[in-house]
Amino acid sequence: MALPEAKKLKLVLFAAVFIVAIGLPFILRDPYYLGFVNVFIMYSILSLGLNLILGYTGLLSLGHAAFFGLGGYTTAILMKNHGLPFVPSLVISALIALFFGFLVGIPTRKVKGDYFCLLTIIFGEIFRLVVQSWIGFTGGAMGIVGIPIPKIFGWTIRTEADFYFLGLGLLCFTYFTLAILVKSKFGRAFVAIREDELAASVMGVNAPVYKILAFGIGCLYAGLAGSYLAVYQTVVTPSNFRLEESCFMIIAVIVGGMGNLGATFSGVFLMTLATEVFRPIAEYRMLIIGLIMVIVLLFRPQGLFGASAFKD
Amino acid sequence: MLFNILIAGILLGSIYALVTIGYSMVYGILKLMNFAHGDVYIFGTLFCFTLLSKYHLNAVIAVVISAIMGGVLASAVEFFAYRRLRAAQHRMISMITALGAAYIIQNCSELEWGSQVLPFPSLIPAQFIEVFGHQISTTQIITLMVAVGFIVLFNLFLKYHKMGKAILCVSEDINTSRLMGIPINLIISIVYFLGGVLGVIGGILYSASFNAISLGMGFRGTIIAFTAAVIGGIGSMNGALIGGMILGISENIIAVYVSSTYRDTLTFLILIIVLLIKPSGIMGKGDYEKV
Amino acid sequence: MPLLETTELSKYFGGVVALESISLSIEKGEILGMIGPNGSGKTTFINVLSGIYRPEKGEVKFKKRDVTGFPPHVITREGISRTFQNLRVFPNISVLQNILTGLHCRIDNSLFGIFFSPFSSMKREKQAEHKSLEILEMVNLAKTKNELAKNLPYGEQRLLEICRALASEPDLLLLDEPCAGMNPVEIDTLATFLKKLKSAGITIFIIEHNMRFVMSIAERIVVLNAGKKFKEGLPAEIQNDREVQEIYLGEEEEI
Repeated sequence: MALPEAKKLKLVLFAAVFIVAIGLPFILRDPYYLGFVNVFIMYSILSLGLNLILGYTGLLSLGHAAFFGLGGYTTAILMKNHGLPFVPSLVISALIALFFGFLVGIPTRKVKGDYFCLLTIIFGEIFRLVVQSWIGFTGGAMGIVGIPIPKIFGWTIRTEADFYFLGLGLLCFTYFTLAILVKSKFGRAFVAIREDELAASVMGVNAPVYKILAFGIGCLYAGLAGSYLAVYQTVVTPSNFRLEESCFMIIAVIVGGMGNLGATFSGVFLMTLATEVFRPIAEYRMLIIGLIMVIVLLFRPQGLFGASAFKD
Repeated sequence: MLFNILIAGILLGSIYALVTIGYSMVYGILKLMNFAHGDVYIFGTLFCFTLLSKYHLNAVIAVVISAIMGGVLASAVEFFAYRRLRAAQHRMISMITALGAAYIIQNCSELEWGSQVLPFPSLIPAQFIEVFGHQISTTQIITLMVAVGFIVLFNLFLKYHKMGKAILCVSEDINTSRLMGIPINLIISIVYFLGGVLGVIGGILYSASFNAISLGMGFRGTIIAFTAAVIGGIGSMNGALIGGMILGISENIIAVYVSSTYRDTLTFLILIIVLLIKPSGIMGKGDYEKV
Repeated sequence: MPLLETTELSKYFGGVVALESISLSIEKGEILGMIGPNGSGKTTFINVLSGIYRPEKGEVKFKKRDVTGFPPHVITREGISRTFQNLRVFPNISVLQNILTGLHCRIDNSLFGIFFSPFSSMKREKQAEHKSLEILEMVNLAKTKNELAKNLPYGEQRLLEICRALASEPDLLLLDEPCAGMNPVEIDTLATFLKKLKSAGITIFIIEHNMRFVMSIAERIVVLNAGKKFKEGLPAEIQNDREVQEIYLGEEEEI
């Protein structure tokens, strides 16, 4: 069977990425670098979900960090206070994020774009405030500490390399399910909603329902990432899930390219690299993030590889 | 007790109204959610703090300088960050830019003043007088008068001054105004400037009343402006006033009678409820989209 | 047998009467034209038929079923499709993707299905792609399938919009001023295309200002004026009707 050149190239690329991915922990001996990769993986999962919401469906959500937090706190509480093993906690965290995603998505039916954005910010703030104040349940500002070490069928996840493979697994799940989704009629429906919601509904797309669907699904992945954070960090605190985090993810999506799944990785990479590089001058962190936001949006809103929908 | 709470609420409400006007006008004209609004006027208030505590400037002079500075900063943000995006296809792009601008200003404020709460001087010597058998401080009365004074002045400006009328035209219909020869860019800069000025005055009044100023008030200030504007009706001057009052009074009542820890949460819940039920607010009219 | 029937259809916007008691029927297989001066309510009428507006009074029956007030996506599923007066293709996606989106309600893939039965899902996708290309072939646009819709010349974009509407397999096609902005060559192409559709069994309802076009292609004409049904009849009758000409007085007729 003779494959066309383009397909052959794709397979070779794929194989190369696969080999590097599996071998990475052995290439990068220093746990510091592997740690960086793990953070990169976590933010990739978050941003991929956000790209579905923002880049594909055109809904601006500045509350993504709250769903990240929902996942994190759910896992923390289930594992620490109720002794649940990791896998069921992970699944439940994802479902909780999904559920609240649907809930927050419901107003899109009635509330205009900018107001919906405001709503997502408020949801994020309410989440943070509740978590900070409900000391009995969530540990307040101190958060929940001492989250148990996760085990999956006898495999204890302890080292950076272990977390790398866990993260990689979650990332593959995220990327491949999303890739299938955006290629399907559902993905087309989401894009149609972004392009022209009225025309989309006249084409047979149930716009109100699909917006809720896109939002919920995007948030599900945030829940996964939150669960990962909980066991990776062994603590969750409200400061992990502030509005700043949501902004970080938004920029990652924008810089990489809205409406382009694969491009998200480039955006996340640049943002996590920038954070690392600028760590010594951490007090300028938000200044730099703010500058990046303004400059990118002023001069190249479609990011590196984004859909032409967002070009000036 | 209720009386004092009401007075305090009205006072708070008038301050809130002051800071909301600028935000509401901008949104009314440009449909842009100026996320940097609160951070700009808090920057101005912090600036005033430095003028007062470090340089011991006369109160009135300090207020005037800071207010102007706040106005200039607001216009500068518009000029550098928002202007180019006015014709943008997706409005959410401007919103994210606004957030970026907010973070830049916030970070600069933090570098200069740190994030702790600073003691803002009272400006008005405290004395108590009796009204209807209750004690009110002159500080409260004067603050109220100043706030209301500025609101009334601004209202008159919009109604009777040539430039004010131009602003109203632009907020009604920007394209027709342009065709009528009104200099849109100038008007918009002025709107931002005035919003910044009023915001800084409001911020100073607030900080003088509570003797506290901190960086964190910036974001909270933006949320207050949003909430009051939405409640009262975006783009409407009266709406900003009504929204500010309702927010100020209810916040006070909630803080005292319900719980002060959840005060912010409850403010947000009010905003959500209004957004879900009647997003156009009390004074706003519904939007009919022509297909 | 009427494919679509409206009875006393009325639409108000606050105090403004956009449509008042419109009763008409569209027969199966016919091409019905609607004309009327600007602001007479033609687009509002299509918007009500396609589910974008809910009428305050009256009802719409399609294939004997009451579809009054149904949301747009349900109406599309029932078998009514439309185009827009001011061209609403999806600009930033390809021609093929536009058509595939039009097929949305006819592809049976479910959310779980795309993950758990990938092979049958992919098969349906392939069928959908095949069908889309067939539709594009009809107007010679198959060669542009990977072009972004916004890069197509205007006349082709209009044809694309009609193709997209056809993708959902409608029994009734509603066209809102399809000729607007087209040159004579493009208009001729359109006329041929519509006649081809009619012979394929699709009922067409067309709003137009271009008198020559609508008179040549429509079998019956309805005239709307100030939200009310003014006259109904054969093209020749309407064309020569004094009263119809009068309501257009002061209006620029496009020939």
